[in-house]
Amino acid sequence: MNLAQLLNGISLGALLMIVSSGLAMIYGLRGVMNFSHGALYMVGAYVAFAVTTKVSFWFALIGAPLVLGVVGAILELAVFRRVEKRSPIEVALIAFGIALLIERGVVAIWGSNTKPVPAPAALSGTWTFLGTSYPSYRLVVIGIAFVVAIALVVWLWRSRTGLHIRAASHDGGTASVMGVNVDMMSLIVVCLGAALAGLAGTLAAPFVSADPSMDTAILINALIVVVVGGLGSIAGAMITGLALGILQVLGNVYVPSVAPLVPYALLIAIILWRPQGLAGTRTQ
Amino acid sequence: MSAVNERVATATPAIDDVPLPQAVRTGLNRRSLLIGLGVAVAVFLVGLAAPSVASSTYNQGILVSGAILGMVALSIAFLAHRSGLVSLGQTAFYGGAAYLVAIATTTWGWSPLAAGALGFFGAIVLAVIIGALCVRTPGMSFVMLTLAFGQALYQFVILDSVRKTTGAFDGLSVTFAPNTTFLGLTQSDIATPSKIWPLVWGCLVVIATIFWLAGRSRFGTLLEGIRENEERARFSGYNTYLPRLAAFTLSGAAAGVAGVLFAFTSAYVSPDVMTFSTAGNALIAAIVGGVGTLIGPVLGALVYVWGQNKFASTSGSNIDFYTGIALIIVLVFLPGGIVGSLERLFRWAKGRLRRRSS
Repeated sequence: MNLAQLLNGISLGALLMIVSSGLAMIYGLRGVMNFSHGALYMVGAYVAFAVTTKVSFWFALIGAPLVLGVVGAILELAVFRRVEKRSPIEVALIAFGIALLIERGVVAIWGSNTKPVPAPAALSGTWTFLGTSYPSYRLVVIGIAFVVAIALVVWLWRSRTGLHIRAASHDGGTASVMGVNVDMMSLIVVCLGAALAGLAGTLAAPFVSADPSMDTAILINALIVVVVGGLGSIAGAMITGLALGILQVLGNVYVPSVAPLVPYALLIAIILWRPQGLAGTRTQ
Repeated sequence: MSAVNERVATATPAIDDVPLPQAVRTGLNRRSLLIGLGVAVAVFLVGLAAPSVASSTYNQGILVSGAILGMVALSIAFLAHRSGLVSLGQTAFYGGAAYLVAIATTTWGWSPLAAGALGFFGAIVLAVIIGALCVRTPGMSFVMLTLAFGQALYQFVILDSVRKTTGAFDGLSVTFAPNTTFLGLTQSDIATPSKIWPLVWGCLVVIATIFWLAGRSRFGTLLEGIRENEERARFSGYNTYLPRLAAFTLSGAAAGVAGVLFAFTSAYVSPDVMTFSTAGNALIAAIVGGVGTLIGPVLGALVYVWGQNKFASTSGSNIDFYTGIALIIVLVFLPGGIVGSLERLFRWAKGRLRRRSS
């Protein structure tokens, strides 16, 4: 098998890993299946486009996640916190409505044409790696995604805030009695989840271009990843995201005629075999 | 776990074994049945006049499309209201039936009636298969599974490897063989909204009536019992799987009828009928109208189709903006949808008046 193909799979999987870990975190703590996550990713790509044309891509890499973090804070304070007593499906549908608004907002600001985002000049070439030359930008994407993923895991398992987030995800009521500020943890998690979606959108922009329909495709894939990985399990989502990216590219190479069906077949098989997902402990 | 419960359930004498009077067994007494059917016939007859009220062909076209989407919305609402199962995969039956009609008429040269029957029964078979796998897992998992099946079917029809059969992104036209008719309607009759309206309206009324009967009957009560507490229903000796599968199949069959009618009236089927946004829009129409009512979803669908035509623009349809707003407002402030909220308001006002007069 071809190393370049494997790297293609890893770079696709790395993006899915970032998007899905945010989605899984929000689900774990808030119990909200955030149907607007794809829209946040799309906004990330458009902010990257705006910042790249005005300043440079490197600013976008910092700026887009910050902007999306603010969007996440608004989402949490103005929406999720107000409807936290509602059933999970109702909240998911409210998020779906928000996604529709965000999508139209993006079209109103940037129009409906595809906006190309150039990769930074320093990374526009290829690097030769084990005898295979490969676009250097994609290697950097893989590198950034893995650094972020590892940092997230270390932060969740080593810091006090991470401990509080895990406690609140496990049992919000008890954690609250033990002195964990669950509202604060929710705010942090939704901000961080949105910022991660923004980061993924920024990283994806140079190779997929910003487009008003890019949200649905990534949303469906990320939802599949979160359910397969195990509802609320961040590690499960990360590993599944990476694996799904690789599987999709391998599917394109070996079984091109049915490759687009791979994620769905995976989801259906996993839910029927293990309704709680690969690493999950709960079904709802 | 579930195997153990099922064994317990079969060991307990099932309630069905106890002989019950006819009315209790079906849950319908003759009087309310007759009133309901009378109302259905009256609504059907009044509705026949709709094309002469909506005078232009454009408005009549909106009525037909709205009624067809209304059937899909109604099928989603029935399942959500009676079973608590929210489906994002109704497009599998709607689009599946539409594609079967297109393939059977255009590619195989079947008679329109046979093609329509194939679409309808195909949707039922699909609903039984998908339902058998989905209804075991309620809640969010059900939403995700139906979404996955619907999208898998969408991805399937756009595959390059089946382009010869489905036309991939180009879609398929629905062309009748020469001198064939669908229930006496030629292809040009079907393309004329005022001529196809009685059939579309009739199907909608029949579907609504069946859902009403199913909801009022013992079957509907059982579904609601399972929705509220599945475990308790199982310990009371009921099979909780088959009723939900039956409800899912009934709902899929209704969406199938809509798909058949869609294929005939638009004479063209594209992958659009199976997209995530089509599934989402039908669900939104049902929720905004009110899933607990029969009028709500149909009204929601009509308003949606009207808005879709009105707000269409070159940069994609702005209708998404309004549906997004409507969905959020209804979910946050008007649980029960617009029709459900009006009903509540009406009942509240009636209660106030009665209290004041006494």
